[in-house]
Amino acid sequence: MDFLFKEEQELFRKSVREFCEKKIAPKANEIDEKGEIPRKVLDDMAAFGLLGITISQEYGGSGADFITAAIATEEIARADISMATAVYYLVEAGWGFLMNRYGSKKAREELLPDVTKGKTFLGIASTEAAGGSDVAAVSTTMAKEGEKLMVNGSKTFISGVREAAKYGGGYVTVVKTSPELAHKGLSLCYLPVKDVPGITTNVFKQMGRDGISTGAIIIKNVAIPAHYLIGDWNKGFYYAMEGFNCARPLVAAACIGAAEKALESGIEYIKERRAFGSPLAKFEGMQFQVAEAYAKLESARLLVYKAAWMLDQMYTKNRFSHKEINKAVASAKLVAPTVAFDIIKDVLIWHGAYGYTKEAGLEKGLRGVASYIMGAEGAQNIMKLIIGRELLGKEFAPY
Amino acid sequence: MDIIVCLKQIFDLGQIMVDTATKHPITEGIARKISDFDKNALEEAVRVKEKHGGTVLALIGGAKEAAKEALAMGADEAVIYNADTDSLGTATIMAEIIHKMKYDLILCGEASIDEFSFQIGPRLAQALGIPVLTYTREMELKDNEVVVERNLENRYEVAKARLPALVTVTKEINEPRIPTLLQILGASKKQITEISIEKPEAGIETLRVTAIEMKRKEVILKDIEDLARVIISEKS
Repeated sequence: MDFLFKEEQELFRKSVREFCEKKIAPKANEIDEKGEIPRKVLDDMAAFGLLGITISQEYGGSGADFITAAIATEEIARADISMATAVYYLVEAGWGFLMNRYGSKKAREELLPDVTKGKTFLGIASTEAAGGSDVAAVSTTMAKEGEKLMVNGSKTFISGVREAAKYGGGYVTVVKTSPELAHKGLSLCYLPVKDVPGITTNVFKQMGRDGISTGAIIIKNVAIPAHYLIGDWNKGFYYAMEGFNCARPLVAAACIGAAEKALESGIEYIKERRAFGSPLAKFEGMQFQVAEAYAKLESARLLVYKAAWMLDQMYTKNRFSHKEINKAVASAKLVAPTVAFDIIKDVLIWHGAYGYTKEAGLEKGLRGVASYIMGAEGAQNIMKLIIGRELLGKEFAPY
Repeated sequence: MDIIVCLKQIFDLGQIMVDTATKHPITEGIARKISDFDKNALEEAVRVKEKHGGTVLALIGGAKEAAKEALAMGADEAVIYNADTDSLGTATIMAEIIHKMKYDLILCGEASIDEFSFQIGPRLAQALGIPVLTYTREMELKDNEVVVERNLENRYEVAKARLPALVTVTKEINEPRIPTLLQILGASKKQITEISIEKPEAGIETLRVTAIEMKRKEVILKDIEDLARVIISEKS
């Protein structure tokens, strides 16, 4: 057993941290206030090889494994604790991997180089108005019509809608292709959204991670080419679950990155800030909170990197069953957002009235991390259901 | 154009804490990094290689991790040695290693940011018997000569030297690149040679390092007008 990162991974973390401190951190407030990640930041991230990092080199990616992708996620979220930049990055890293693995060669060649160059956005469109947790209940349909595939329906709470509609790009989209077969009647397709007849989008006002938009996509008689089918017909449910398993450790990595940065700044603050004649850090009540925050964060971090490591082992050495992966990934996604939310909230309170200001820079972290407690990339209760099903057996699954 | 770039691995000074009782710096567990100006020298070497062709060899006083970073930044091979001695001793070791190598140009940072002795470049050039151009903020290679602009604080000076020569660079000369994942992974295939050289007797031995105590003034300002008064009085 060895808990050390490889030398290359340590060097990569050092590099990404330096990059993020220079190119992302100075823009973090602007990203949150203006509600947009500047194109220059995205161009720099692309030039540095961060966008679509898991996509293979032939399409301009780095073919990174999930430990490496998680390291970058953690560092990006440290630099922009609103989570917006990390979300833009991790959605592409998680779902770009899936597109790279199951997309047709023609679609990969056509779409992925622009993703890795930062020209277009690649996201996931699964959730619908009736709910997001019950993927099998998706009602957006796709049918074969001659040489084309015809898509109808709507998706909601989708990250990056404005960016994809404005600059180009599209979504790994979950659609129903055989309604009578329940979850076995789902497929995945790539759905472009910029200047596509039949596509309309709208953007929601949210409480946080404002730098990347969230909104809805209305799909009316949208014809897409047949090569935009991802993987096999009616196998979409399994691909989607695999995609969520790839994206969720990165989500959890983003949460711990934001919390780490908050905790570090909180520790600095309580060592300097004096009350009743001594630094706040001298008070036992503060030290207990620091210790608990550290221990919880370290536990979440271990879960994140264990899940990422298990994914890498599965893809490169065929180790670990889907059951084992499901449990590890769901545990990381269950624990990290809550731990991160609690730590950022506590650090904010340590700052007193200053913590309540935007200047302190903490509240945007709290608003951002909250999205992953609400349910982005899988609700917390779904994580519990996954773990429960794998521990107790399918026969005890409530649904 | 064969270039040797000299690098020193130092403690990341931003992370060093001071023992409040002894005032000694606490270096245990502190990360190390390539000294800042040395990175400028490496960046310049890689840019020269990209423009004129040739090779870049990184000669590093430090450990393998620094060599990997230098290789990821674009050096073709790295040689590491242990330089736990004074400036004279280090320059002597470096000269002994470089004597056996083929080179047109040697690049160094103007100083390491832990000691700021500014001695290594000039001492190394003297030991090798080649010209040295220090404090370089711009550099160009023309017809077997190196032409530089030197920052001499109150003036800039343009000077040239025939190759082989040694040039020390300032921070102004460039912005060092940050290695990408692919460059880091590519570096693992490049050669790192470890050289063990008997440490020459040090001319100078550092006996003790203690932090300078900076007492806070602890001035409490009531309002913005108070602050304005302090600024005006300090300015006058």
